[in-house]
Amino acid sequence: MSEQIYWDDVEEGQEFNLIEPMDSQRLVIWAAASGDFYQIHYDDNYAKDNKLPDIIVHGALKGMLVGRLLDEWKGEGGSIKNWGVSYRGMDPARQDLTVWAKITKKYQEDGESLVDLDVGVAQPDGTQTTPGTATLSLPQR
Amino acid sequence: MAEELDDLTDEMKAAVGVETSRAIYEVTTQGIRTFARSVGYTDTKYYDEQTARDTGYSGLPSPPGFLGMPIFDPNSGGRRSEIFTNPFTRRLNGGTEVEPIEQVYGGDVLEAVTRITSLELANGRLGQMLIQSNETIYTRQSDNVIVAKTRGTGISY
Repeated sequence: MSEQIYWDDVEEGQEFNLIEPMDSQRLVIWAAASGDFYQIHYDDNYAKDNKLPDIIVHGALKGMLVGRLLDEWKGEGGSIKNWGVSYRGMDPARQDLTVWAKITKKYQEDGESLVDLDVGVAQPDGTQTTPGTATLSLPQR
Repeated sequence: MAEELDDLTDEMKAAVGVETSRAIYEVTTQGIRTFARSVGYTDTKYYDEQTARDTGYSGLPSPPGFLGMPIFDPNSGGRRSEIFTNPFTRRLNGGTEVEPIEQVYGGDVLEAVTRITSLELANGRLGQMLIQSNETIYTRQSDNVIVAKTRGTGISY
């Protein structure tokens, strides 16, 4: 369980991330969890026959990794208002992906203490494939 | 490659706002654990119901974004019926948005209703594309409460 973050203590520009290995086992577990059994995500021969460099990470898995990052960072006292990502590029498997978030706005609205964030997923060379945004509600001290 | 369209067809225009699917999603405890494992959660509240209850939850909580799985129909052929004729045969998943509203738990049964919210023609590096936006509203059957909304963008080219 993560330590509770408070709205009072965060700042615009603050960043946080997690680094996740994307091996074939991870993609197979995701296929079972999501019901997405498209073979480009776990069958090497099928991926190569479709002119892909390797099996590729499911887009929805990347979106849900962003959800996990936000869920763990907000703590039990916070809540996710929304998040969304666009799938702009493929991420070949068997590499680490960095899932990141950066606070772009800190404000209060309708009695809630909120932060807006840019979020995304980056390959080891810095290539950004999955940009998006999110809004979290955080507790005050 | 499909023939270029000057505008949306009348059939496409009529499809905006139309319900495209209605399905029952079961949120099972094993489904929650598999989802949590697949995205790398190590917090045991998503795996162990007693830990979850000790943390203040009334059951095994579903992580944000996990809304269960639709009941598989072996006779569907894995395909959804199209409500308009789409001349573009290749598909891409353009993106996903999630709006969690209420905590979902293992054992919940959700009704998921999807509607087309917009259809647009665009030109990009793949040529002419049809961009379809959908919204799905998930309602818990036991108390008729909306627990989440998701929005998705599909690209046909």
